Amino acid sequence: MVQFHEHIITDLLEDPAGGMVILSGGLSLHKLISNLVSLHHTSQGTLLILASSPSQRQSILLNTPNPPAPDNLAENIGARAPTISEITSELPSNQRASLYTSGGVVFVTSRILIVDLLSNRLEPTVIAGLIILNAHTLSATSTEAFIVRIMRTGNKNLYVRAFSDNAQAMVSGFSKAEKTLKCLYLRKLHLWPRFHVYVKQDLEKEPPEVVDVRVPMTNYMMEIQKALIEVMDACLKEMRKTNKVDVEDLTVESGLCKSFDEILRRQLDPIWHTLGKKTKQLVSDLKTLRKLLDYLVRYDAVTYLKYLDSLRASESFRSVWIFAESSVKIFEYAKKRVYYCKRLEDGKIVGQSKTKTPKKRKLQDKNKDNEDSLPASTNIQVVLEEVLEEAPKWKVFLEILEEIKNDRLKQASSTEDSVTEEIDEGTILVACKDDHSCVQLEECLTKGPRKVMQDEWEKYLLSKVELQSLPKHNGKKKSKESKGIGVLDGTIRKISGNNTDVSSISKQENDALLAAATDLRKQVKKDKDRDNSEMLEDKAEHQKGKKKRASKNMPTTSNIDDKNSAAAAMNKRSDKVSSESHKRTDPEVIGDVHTSIVKDFSADRGIIWKHMQSVDTEGTTESNLLPPVLFYAIDSDSHVLDILEPSVIIVYHPDVAFVREIEIYKSENPSSKLRVYFLFYDDSTEVQKFEASNRREHSAFESLIRQKSMMMLPAYQEGSFSGFDPPIEPASVASQNSITRKAGGRKKIEKEMQVIVDMREFMSNLPNVLHQKGMRIIPVTLEVGDYILSPLICVERKSIHDLFGSFASGRLFHQAEMMIRYYRMPVLLIEFSQDKSFSFQSASDIGEDVAPTSIISKLSLLALHFPRLRIVWSRSLHATAEIFASLKANQDEPDESKALRVGVPSEDGIIEDDVRAENYNTSAVEFLRRLPGVTDSNYRALMDGCKSLSELATLPVERLAELMGGQKAAKTLKDFLDAKYPTLL
Amino acid sequence: YVRPRGNSRNAILVSNRQKGNPLLKHIRNVRWEFADINCDYLLGQNTCALFLSIRYHLLHPDYLYFRIRELQKNFKLRVVLCHVDVEDVVKPLLEITKTAMLHDCTLLCAWSLEECGRYLETLKVYENKPADIIQGQMDTDYTSRLTGALTSIRHVNKTDVVTLGSTFGSLSHIMDASMEDLGRCPGIGERKVKRLYETFHEPFKRVV
Repeated sequence: MVQFHEHIITDLLEDPAGGMVILSGGLSLHKLISNLVSLHHTSQGTLLILASSPSQRQSILLNTPNPPAPDNLAENIGARAPTISEITSELPSNQRASLYTSGGVVFVTSRILIVDLLSNRLEPTVIAGLIILNAHTLSATSTEAFIVRIMRTGNKNLYVRAFSDNAQAMVSGFSKAEKTLKCLYLRKLHLWPRFHVYVKQDLEKEPPEVVDVRVPMTNYMMEIQKALIEVMDACLKEMRKTNKVDVEDLTVESGLCKSFDEILRRQLDPIWHTLGKKTKQLVSDLKTLRKLLDYLVRYDAVTYLKYLDSLRASESFRSVWIFAESSVKIFEYAKKRVYYCKRLEDGKIVGQSKTKTPKKRKLQDKNKDNEDSLPASTNIQVVLEEVLEEAPKWKVFLEILEEIKNDRLKQASSTEDSVTEEIDEGTILVACKDDHSCVQLEECLTKGPRKVMQDEWEKYLLSKVELQSLPKHNGKKKSKESKGIGVLDGTIRKISGNNTDVSSISKQENDALLAAATDLRKQVKKDKDRDNSEMLEDKAEHQKGKKKRASKNMPTTSNIDDKNSAAAAMNKRSDKVSSESHKRTDPEVIGDVHTSIVKDFSADRGIIWKHMQSVDTEGTTESNLLPPVLFYAIDSDSHVLDILEPSVIIVYHPDVAFVREIEIYKSENPSSKLRVYFLFYDDSTEVQKFEASNRREHSAFESLIRQKSMMMLPAYQEGSFSGFDPPIEPASVASQNSITRKAGGRKKIEKEMQVIVDMREFMSNLPNVLHQKGMRIIPVTLEVGDYILSPLICVERKSIHDLFGSFASGRLFHQAEMMIRYYRMPVLLIEFSQDKSFSFQSASDIGEDVAPTSIISKLSLLALHFPRLRIVWSRSLHATAEIFASLKANQDEPDESKALRVGVPSEDGIIEDDVRAENYNTSAVEFLRRLPGVTDSNYRALMDGCKSLSELATLPVERLAELMGGQKAAKTLKDFLDAKYPTLL
Repeated sequence: YVRPRGNSRNAILVSNRQKGNPLLKHIRNVRWEFADINCDYLLGQNTCALFLSIRYHLLHPDYLYFRIRELQKNFKLRVVLCHVDVEDVVKPLLEITKTAMLHDCTLLCAWSLEECGRYLETLKVYENKPADIIQGQMDTDYTSRLTGALTSIRHVNKTDVVTLGSTFGSLSHIMDASMEDLGRCPGIGERKVKRLYETFHEPFKRVV
């Protein structure tokens, strides 16, 4: 435990009502929580943890020892370590109830908790306190605030401790921290930035040894980055011209960060409908560009090109940036990093390349635009030549590993003489942004970077050709099958004619790509037949086999007197590759040993302990060489440092939070040695981004500190938690008052209005607001409608986004049909969001003529087909609550048991007493219903007939026909599932 | 002044009360003519509409009620077309909503006269149109259907669909892909991988 964590906890425990802690990202919030949790004692009541993300849950669980362990904190003597459990939707309600009273620590989702609270399955007095994570996501209307309000009303002694490690999010919007405190009825705000004096003390006492490696980018990368920034700048300038946003934020630097979107969105949302198409497009373009900059330093050349290809294929024609001049450069350079095409006249250069070895030179000097080209036969042809630029960091990465190895060898030999010194053989941890980079780096280590690029390139080509069942493009097979690797140098003869004009180049280029790909596919197919196994596995195996074969045949291949000069060049290349792989034998061997561990590790991070053991054993057997090299994806959000105990960390993709984690780890283990390598691309946006995110957090905290000094927080007395006195006045105070006046004042409302609410609606904040207005909320599972206001009135609520979505899917039509069938006054509630504009579109977006895609048309059709359907337009959540109250005013209260039965298919029998939406894989159901051939009448049968979508994909058409009740529908579905995706070319 | 002409079935009939309403300028795609009618706009045999601007409502809060009372009961669809032309809408809109609801009228809101005009046009043009465009029939070509299906999964966008399609070749391959393979696609991060994988591999029904 770090010192300052103790400080935080002591501070927090001072106020019995609790408090809110905001600390810098990466300062091990999970450990802080674990420590807090271990202070909990069963006799206090149950401790509930809300709003935790799965990864947070996992790391807290990992960090809290379940068997009682000796604790560092003195005041914790004799406390029985509480058991931690998790409440999920699978848990039946009686087990939930027993967990609530267990006195332990329970993770629970807000939605289940609020439903249990409202249906009196949980007595607030049995709860000691709440820990709320991710406090930056809270607002006055969120479910957590709702829970706190109800709990506080029923339990005066409840404490609430809220945490957030996202200071930036805490300063977005007007005095957000203060509002959040108010909605939790808290008065204490604790700020723990990285520059806090205690934090500084702790972390800078024993700083790790840091090696900052600046890797220069390749010329092409520089060019692409330059072009991207140019385009970005141009987009920003356009943006400025619109005069719609605060110019101050519109810098390329802020554009690099994710939060830029939020800044922009926040400014634009209220006026979104007044914006022209162009501005909207600009917003999305900026996002795309930011991604492209990020991926440039993250992905290898081939993957990057592939992404660009996809982007180009999917980006709408309206995109501004894609047609900018610099964008052309982006595509061009991205391509040049991978391959380039050369058009040749008659075999001019044939002889040349036989004697010289252009390939080799290219391998060594890949940045230089290689003017050499492959030999040609007669006629004009397009030659596809791969460049396959490797990421510069790869080389540096391998060098670092080598250096570490040498260091250790030296150390080992020196320690033999003096036995006292300990041999440093801790784990090497490599931290990348995502899994993809992890896997790739690992492959770099085991196979060598060249091979990795080859594999990616092959995959790229394959993906191009797999999609297009090509006619045999190039009738004449080349002798490429004999040598595995050579296939990539596809040459294609332009049989059609000598059209030499420039416009055909790109066509020829495509042809060349295709030809290369086709050859490759043939190759793979052949292997597939032989091995008779899965395509991908097979491919991997095939690579290995190839390598071996190549090295064995080395003397023979070079002796072959090939008629085809191209093939000769290929041989040279394969020689080169094989010799390369020879050179790398050492790391390869080690790599192979560890591959399995690393693989498991990245695939299944959940069970780190198991791997730990295996790592240990491996480590001892291999200690004379490199220690285990492990890979870690920062995105995965699991905290591995304590478990892996690395002695060297290579930060492949710099990330502020991870740096802090390292610092914490180091200060907790001051005795162990730790060296950290940072790999930055020099002059890259990577550096800028890293620095900017640091700066932004700093300023966020500064503004929080300012805010803290000016906060106006009420003293909460007993009874002030009642639901009728919301701590935060809704935005429309004036109108609210007038309504209550009209309805006869407060008394009328307090006459216990009831609303029956569908379980699924607890995802939204409306139940909370209704409760604030003093209505009784009865949560049930409804088959028809979302809210039942009276025996006559049934409401289907749609946010704007939902409205568009459910028009498109046809769900709204179906829902309207059902409501009309069962209720006298069916209502469609269209609810706008308070902070967005109150309208669908600007006048200029309406168009010249009636168009079927317009929302106007859809609403009109709905009105025409369901003339009895009432449409209610609500400005905001609070307006909705008022409308509900006024609609209910002269009506009877709804009947719960009746509402439950409405629309329930009789064969389903009784509806279980649980949350329906969580019993279904809703996204799978939604997906299923969008497949062709699947209809309202057959999708249930399909869901009964197979377990999951992946199983559905494997069902034969006969079985489908059985389930779907028709050959035609089954065939439609099957055809769709198996249809070849059209190629990008 | 437009003289009523014979073939008025394809035209919107406009009450003489609406003379001078700037909204009329925006009815361009459908023929309209003045007529002596009770409602403001007669949009078909069974459909009529009343026009109300919120600003006017604030001046004459009872206007809507009296107008609705005058309407014959024999219309199937009675629309109150509300022009939202004030900033503070919550209170007046609540009153209008209540009046419309209690008297069996369907409330449609529009934020500009253009939009008001378009609603009238659409209601007239679609008088006899089947509901298939709101019944979920999508574009029928392969790519848009695939995009429609895959983008129903949260966080998945159009670019991802292209990436997935070109990487795996067909939908059944995408549905069968391992987490690792999904993660290898550019632009598909941790979150999307998880989302995709769960959608395809988690059982439809979580509790058996």
